[in-house]
Amino acid sequence: MSQEAVVSLRNVTKRIGKTTIIDHLTFDVPKGEIFGFLGPNGAGKTTTIRMMVGLMKITQGEILIKGKSIKSEFEQAISHVGAIVENPEMYKYLSGYRNLVHYARMVPGVTKARIDEVVKLVKLEDRIHDKVKKYSLGMRQRLGVAQAMLHKPSLLILDEPTNGLDPAGIRELRDYLRHLTREEGITVIVSSHLLSEMELMCDRIAILQRGKLIDVKGVEEFVGGNDQAQTYLIEASADALAVADIRAMNGVEDAKAVSEGIEVVTGRDRIPEILAYLIKNDVDVYGARAVRQSLEDRFLEMTGGEGIG
Amino acid sequence: MVNLIANENMKVYRRYRTWVMIGGMIAIVIIASIFDWYYDRKDLTETTWQTEVTADVAHYEKMLADPNMGEDSKDWARDELAISKYRLAHDIAPEDGTMWSGINGAADLIVLITLFTVIIAGDSLAGEFSTGTIKLLLIRPANRLKILIAKYASMIMFGLLLLIILFLISLLVNGILYQFDSTGLPYLTVDSHGIVKEHNMFGHLWQTYLLNGVSTIMFVTLAFMISSAFRSSAMAIGFSIFLLFAGVLMLEIFHPYEWSKYLLFANIDLSQYLDGQPYQEGMTLGFSIAVLAGYYIVFNLVAWLAFTKRDVAA
Repeated sequence: MSQEAVVSLRNVTKRIGKTTIIDHLTFDVPKGEIFGFLGPNGAGKTTTIRMMVGLMKITQGEILIKGKSIKSEFEQAISHVGAIVENPEMYKYLSGYRNLVHYARMVPGVTKARIDEVVKLVKLEDRIHDKVKKYSLGMRQRLGVAQAMLHKPSLLILDEPTNGLDPAGIRELRDYLRHLTREEGITVIVSSHLLSEMELMCDRIAILQRGKLIDVKGVEEFVGGNDQAQTYLIEASADALAVADIRAMNGVEDAKAVSEGIEVVTGRDRIPEILAYLIKNDVDVYGARAVRQSLEDRFLEMTGGEGIG
Repeated sequence: MVNLIANENMKVYRRYRTWVMIGGMIAIVIIASIFDWYYDRKDLTETTWQTEVTADVAHYEKMLADPNMGEDSKDWARDELAISKYRLAHDIAPEDGTMWSGINGAADLIVLITLFTVIIAGDSLAGEFSTGTIKLLLIRPANRLKILIAKYASMIMFGLLLLIILFLISLLVNGILYQFDSTGLPYLTVDSHGIVKEHNMFGHLWQTYLLNGVSTIMFVTLAFMISSAFRSSAMAIGFSIFLLFAGVLMLEIFHPYEWSKYLLFANIDLSQYLDGQPYQEGMTLGFSIAVLAGYYIVFNLVAWLAFTKRDVAA
């Protein structure tokens, strides 16, 4: 995996004064992967990203982007990177187009045609000549993606990319990132506090807490497969007796009555049986669904219940 | 590098406030020139310049004859006397009451250029930090030194542009006001042998403008340094403008101390060597240039270190 790694962090440490903000981070991100950073506020997500793009110095350790050190070969390393760090802050007094021209001038080989192409990609054709101060947050976010994509980077780093996007925008961004990784082999690193987003977007997720890497796992491992017990909500007008019966069923770990119906912790394969039982006993069933909070639950479990920003 | 400077220029000239400043400066030059011209005409006496210069000659001769007069003053009076006599002999009018005095007077407005350039320079770096645009600026394949130099170069270009605009507008306005009379008037100086020389008036004025421009450059560099070190536009602009006006006051206060000749403000006005007395005894043009160069290097070094070595956490 390491020869293919687009980004490698080796024992990356950041100290400010005596405080260790980032503590020996080591991981690789292979080509074509969407990699997520997850962690509570102050865990060091943004600091790590800032070190990756050279805005902050690395106290100890090394970050390689396509084999080039961000420390000693900054210009070569950074030319592979497109990024948004926190909010995409643009020159508000310039038009969106002028902003793109500004960034295009800083990288060799970005043509006017490429700028138009990127503008089309983020669907800003109608407003690109307006001043950025007239843009909505979502439009600024899209302009941010446009400036990051201008020079066709092989690594896209997006810090909280879904900030300010409406659900349709988030979905669009997600599909777009999928397209980039699948079709163009671009590697994407995102950080987000929207866990459900990470779950849908990422291939692998790294969990950071107090500057330490707690775990790096594939999303499936987090969420759990078919055989693992999960919480399901069955919307039904069930009485206590039915709940007790369900709890006693084979393969059911737990069942309790909640205001909407019954919450059952069980494997997916047990659900038809439970439903059949309820219907047979004349209980009105309105629906059944998995309570998809598993990532959040897992996260809280791993970080010891610290809040998620 | 050319692209980076083009970027910085874009950020200066595609901004409304820049044009407000340029427009404001043009308006002030026009108004000030009209005022000057108006009062100049009111003062106009019935006498010709020849009678006035003859009176001057008598005055200088009296000064030279006065035993209580200091050696410096006598040197000055001797030079002025030579020029006055030359004027009478060759029929060359003084600049007073011609367009040239108006243009020369407009050189005083260079302090406005300093003011405007300091505002732009103070905001140039710090503004990028306070708006957060610095992050997207620095994650490009251009190292921080190049970006710093590009910003600095665009500031100096802005100052120079204002200087050229000031000169052209004052030339035009004063030319119109004085109906372009005495355009061929030469500028007179006395060399060390007491011989009067004729110079081109244009050249002399540019010398004045450029010498005044030195102070603009120093203040811009100062503002740039503060902008880089503190990453605050308000601080950079405020502090530089404060020094711009407090400098003269500081010179008054510290004048009794000999070390005050090493102060930036004691050396910033190089035109003190063109006409008049230097701030402290024994100061020469070479000394001032050396002191200014020292300050210049320190300012730029601090700006560079503060900008390239520190983390961006904005």
